[in-house]
Amino acid sequence: MIGYLLEIGQALLALLLAPGLVGFIRMVKARLQGRRGAPPWQPYYDLRKLFGKEAVVSGNASWLFRFSPYLIFAATVVVTMLVPLVAAPLPFDAAGDLLTVVYLMLLGTFFLALAGLDPGTAFGGMGASREMTVAAIAEPTIALAIFGLAVGAGSTNLGRIVAQTLSHPGAVINPGHLLGFTALFIVTLAETGRLPVDNPATHLELTMIHEAMTLEYSGRYLALIEWAAGLKLLVFFSLLANLFLPWGVATTLTPGGLAIAVIALIAKLALLGLAVALIETRIAKLRLFRVPELLGVSFVLALLSVTSSFLLR
Amino acid sequence: MKFLLLLLPPFVAALGAYMVRPYRATVGWFNALLSLVSLGAALVFAGHAARGGEAPVFGPGELLRADGLSALLMVCVAAASTLTLFLSPGVGTETNYTQAQFRRYQVLINLFIFSMLLAVSANNVAIMWVALEATTIFSALLITLARSKSSVEASWKYVLIGSVGIALAFAGTVLGYFDFVALAGRAENALNWPVLLQNAPAMHPEVMKLAFVFLLVGYGTKAGIAPMHTWKPDAYGEAPPALAALMSSALFAVAMYAILRWKVVADAAVKDHYADNLLLALGLLSLAIAAFSVAQSRNYKRMLAYSSVEHTGLICFGLGLGAAGVFAALLHLVNHTAAKSLMFFLAGDIERRYGSPAIKQARGLLKVAPWTGGLFAAGLLALVGLPPFGMFISEFALFRAGFAQHHPWVRGLMAAALLLLLVAFVSFITHLNRMLYGEPPAEVAAGETAGWRLAPMLLGLLALAMLGLTLPAPLETLLQQIVRIVSR
Amino acid sequence: MNGNDALFPQLATLGSSLVLLFGIALLWRRSLGAYVRAFRWQSLALALTFALIGYFGHNHELYVVAVILAVLKVIIIPSYLTRLYERVGGRREAQPYVNIATSLIIAGLLVSLSYAITRPLVAVSKLPTRNGIPLAVGLILIGVFVIISRRKALSQIVGFLVLENGIALLAALGTYGIPLIVELGVFLDVLMGFLVMQILVYQIKDTFESIDVEQLSKLRH
Repeated sequence: MIGYLLEIGQALLALLLAPGLVGFIRMVKARLQGRRGAPPWQPYYDLRKLFGKEAVVSGNASWLFRFSPYLIFAATVVVTMLVPLVAAPLPFDAAGDLLTVVYLMLLGTFFLALAGLDPGTAFGGMGASREMTVAAIAEPTIALAIFGLAVGAGSTNLGRIVAQTLSHPGAVINPGHLLGFTALFIVTLAETGRLPVDNPATHLELTMIHEAMTLEYSGRYLALIEWAAGLKLLVFFSLLANLFLPWGVATTLTPGGLAIAVIALIAKLALLGLAVALIETRIAKLRLFRVPELLGVSFVLALLSVTSSFLLR
Repeated sequence: MKFLLLLLPPFVAALGAYMVRPYRATVGWFNALLSLVSLGAALVFAGHAARGGEAPVFGPGELLRADGLSALLMVCVAAASTLTLFLSPGVGTETNYTQAQFRRYQVLINLFIFSMLLAVSANNVAIMWVALEATTIFSALLITLARSKSSVEASWKYVLIGSVGIALAFAGTVLGYFDFVALAGRAENALNWPVLLQNAPAMHPEVMKLAFVFLLVGYGTKAGIAPMHTWKPDAYGEAPPALAALMSSALFAVAMYAILRWKVVADAAVKDHYADNLLLALGLLSLAIAAFSVAQSRNYKRMLAYSSVEHTGLICFGLGLGAAGVFAALLHLVNHTAAKSLMFFLAGDIERRYGSPAIKQARGLLKVAPWTGGLFAAGLLALVGLPPFGMFISEFALFRAGFAQHHPWVRGLMAAALLLLLVAFVSFITHLNRMLYGEPPAEVAAGETAGWRLAPMLLGLLALAMLGLTLPAPLETLLQQIVRIVSR
Repeated sequence: MNGNDALFPQLATLGSSLVLLFGIALLWRRSLGAYVRAFRWQSLALALTFALIGYFGHNHELYVVAVILAVLKVIIIPSYLTRLYERVGGRREAQPYVNIATSLIIAGLLVSLSYAITRPLVAVSKLPTRNGIPLAVGLILIGVFVIISRRKALSQIVGFLVLENGIALLAALGTYGIPLIVELGVFLDVLMGFLVMQILVYQIKDTFESIDVEQLSKLRH
């Protein structure tokens, strides 16, 4: 019982923190660029504003256009319940493991791309095709990168993986571990639309991928999609943090342990957010035809991490 | 002491050629005479081994050792070197090189000969490797002696493919040493061949299999076994005739020697016929590729190179057929050394006369230069395997060993080989006919100008004929000694 | 010394992974300068791995080898290479025969292949460094792949040097290094081989006006 309450609590926590994370990264970037920037809770205001606005839908759009934001949001929320954010193992672990998580995220990406194509605008189609190019290599890499860890833990259950790493702290400097971390980090940048793959702040035709697909959305639809994007960012960060550096994750469901876990999670998210902001400030965006090369590197690193974990058990 | 007499002369020759400025023709003559010293030492080693004497060793950690197999190859390399040095540019051949080119030639070719002799007398397989790598380096620099687009291209391909091959051979050597270490721990003399052989039965078969694959691919690249032979036509076609002669006869023999040394170790470690099967497969592939490439040849120097690949295939075959096959293969190696070296010199003469290496251009050879043409024809017939030349005997022995095998598919392989030899035979004879007969092109001067240079080549041909008519007793004893060493 | 026992294999594998990673980074880059830099870093990682194995494996000869390796492959050869490509021109590997994304995937597959073929080696060896052996063989295969798939003669030279690094790593991991005399001979050969290749590249540039090996296709039947 407590476990199920915890699951819902975990999802609520994620929903709460996600816009804050996005705002935090924006603020750090602004400070690094010499501006003052909006405060980290600006995205909350944006969400409230969007929910109050009227949703304008193109005449060419079909039911898919209206349905997709709900689906994407729902899929991402379900993922937050399956990922070990604050505690491991969790009761829903039996229902979802690594592959389920990957498929749910891919489901979200797929429907976003379809929604981009649906109104029949040029930008939407362009964004969808670019997104698919990125996703084609990035999605298998997520699976492979975490699979490397799964092999070591003997199960694709994410909670079990976390428990395994907690009990064998020396495995952290394992090459398989480090390779997997690097691969997953690169893929995080790709999947969440961060530099050097995609610029989250641009609306120039030349450079946008994620923004192009959501260009037609407004009002509550846009709010849901933006929130889902923030959730996706949070999920990826938590995967990076808790799978590879799981200290702080509560293994017992005590209030003290959970409190520590929440604090640890916020700390790790802040750290990763800082890292991403630094990278975004320093690196220029890659030309689109070079993105598959970068993703190819991450794919190879993930493959290496799997083979080294698999054959050096 | 004898080792010094074997190895020092080419080294001294290179040093002398480097230091004497300006270059004089006498340097070339002096170096040629020095090579006779090496030849003498090699013959002494061979005689000692044929009499069944204990293999002499020399140097710290038994660095150099001359058992029967080494002795045979020393004789082959030294004989080919002597022939080459006597017929070198500036000595036996009229060439219009500059002084610098003559010097470069003398230095590099003597260093090349030195490294080949070191490779066959080294006891330590790693030193053998170092020497073979050195041969790649020296020969690559020599190929571009006459700077031209095609020679630079040929040299580049040769260096790249050869270096990759040698590197892979080194990986194989490391794997062989690895197995030894895994078994018995590190030891200073672990890479000495007799020590490896002694420990071979205890080594792990899978590791030695992997090592042998690397070694076969690596040294096979140097020997020109298909599919690693692609540098051969380019390199032999573009190199100066002296270098081509030496590479096709001596260097090839040394590479096969390296393969044979490792094969013995691998056979002792891997109890089934793994190495034999690999050699048979690659031998057939070489034969097939060579036979069809000869048919398509338009350049007689490249045609000779493909003939080399064909003989490589035959020798690989022989090495994979057990004791009798090894005997035949080694006899074939000796014959091939004799035949190939003089063929490239003749080809060089023909090219100088006609100004082009194309078969179409070189018509009417018998009219233009009857002696050269006659020798060329005789040599080509010898290479193709016609009696009374030695190749016929060795090929016959090879096929007899093959058909005596029990497995039916080996017999099938031999039948396929015979067919391919037939294809090659027909192609060669066709090309030869086109070259010998017909009207020579108008601008070619008629009349034999080769002079005394024909004498050593005639001698070589007579030696081949003699080897074909009888098998001299010392050679036979030596070969049997070697077979005893090689197949335990 | 249980901690130490577990530390040595981990560090050795870490070192070998770094060496392999720089080899893969080579496939990702386009400019010849980046190739040389990647090779430089790789050789440095290799020298450190040698020193590491020398320390933990109590084989002091490896220190000497590490120093020679560092001097030769981190300082001498890259400086020659830099001078070579500055003089010969052609700063970019314009279009390799296999494009970069595919090259990377092939590299991953080659490393997986090397894991498969080196299984008997890892099973047989009793040394603590045996887990890095597949990485060394993978590097060898990647070196061969670079030679085959690149168009510029200089890239092929770098591929050859990477191949040599892979073999040296294999020797270190599998046997704690080969006897010193032989190692010296090998270094000498590598240096001379490299010098010869350098000479030839100059000759190619002189006669062909370009170091694109696509031009080297005059020789046919």
